Amino acid sequence: MKLTVTYQERYSRSELLLRSIFGVFYIVMPHFFLLIFMGIWGSILSFIALISILLTGRYPESMFEYQVQLLRWQLRVNSRIQNLSDGYPAFGLNGTDEYTSLEIEYPERISRGTTLLRLFFGIFYVILPHGFILYFRVLWGVILQIYAWVSVLFFAKFPESAHTFLVGTLRWQYRVNLYMGNMTDVYPPFSSKEEV
Amino acid sequence: MSAEKYVKLPQPQDLSEREKEDAMGAYLMMFAALATSLPLPIINLIAAIVYYYINRKKGRFIHFHCLQSLLSQLPTTLVNWGLLFWALQIFFFDNFEVDDWFYAYLGFAILANLIYFIFSIMAAIRARKGIFMYFLFFGSYAYHRVYGASNELNYDNEKLQNPKTQKVNSPPFL
Repeated sequence: MKLTVTYQERYSRSELLLRSIFGVFYIVMPHFFLLIFMGIWGSILSFIALISILLTGRYPESMFEYQVQLLRWQLRVNSRIQNLSDGYPAFGLNGTDEYTSLEIEYPERISRGTTLLRLFFGIFYVILPHGFILYFRVLWGVILQIYAWVSVLFFAKFPESAHTFLVGTLRWQYRVNLYMGNMTDVYPPFSSKEEV
Repeated sequence: MSAEKYVKLPQPQDLSEREKEDAMGAYLMMFAALATSLPLPIINLIAAIVYYYINRKKGRFIHFHCLQSLLSQLPTTLVNWGLLFWALQIFFFDNFEVDDWFYAYLGFAILANLIYFIFSIMAAIRARKGIFMYFLFFGSYAYHRVYGASNELNYDNEKLQNPKTQKVNSPPFL
């Protein structure tokens, strides 16, 4: 998996203020309204894919593509909500974005054994250890977002280390989601780095 | 029904893995209610309808299986709705009492669901292998609808092989 959110040299102050005051109306509400329905369909497909994996050992390719497109859409919106990117996130599964990118390699085969292991014990060996660390990363991320918000407002610059940390947290979450969603057999590393 | 009126059926080796997987997915939509954790009979039907409209243009093989799966869900959905309605009237609204007729209908509903489940799983496995399986009534109807020469749907995987002139404009009457 390759997740990137481009670091901009300069961030727009006006867009920051617009997002902070009215973002809930013109970004969060319209996108979340659609994403709820797309997410319900995504969870249905995810369950169907689980059965398909148990029957055939493969994640159906078109369902996999749908999940990847949905994750891309969520990433576009997330990066705006967290002020990691300027601009308005494109609607739709086929929407493109100049600042965010998410590439996930299609696995030819998914192990049935690992799938069953995830299904019954995933909460213990994936959710609990990763969730524990991610909980504190997200908490620290909130503090960094406030710091970055002030920085962008006064200097039009997002602190690069904060950007790296926040993008890293997103990357970590996406890796865990991919593994728990049966989209990969590679156990998510305890790292936020792009290359592990 | 002469053979000339129908498009030639594909053999398993003519179909791509993706087509077979998408066709299999149509039958697995019977698990949609489980995925949403809502025990409502309508969920499976809605999922099958959504799946049908998303996938029907991808290819005839997929269209056939989506249609057959969708149509075969209708009787089971109606039976399940009947059972749900009856059970609600008995256990929530106290309008009826549990009697032999209810048990008979319950047995019938369980049997209908079991038959539907077994046939759908068999059809899903066969679709995954690129093999056709025709359900009673619905199979022949779906075949006629999809592989009949009168079907004018433009399929994604046939556009390059058989470019048809698109009928976009038409007169205001006729």
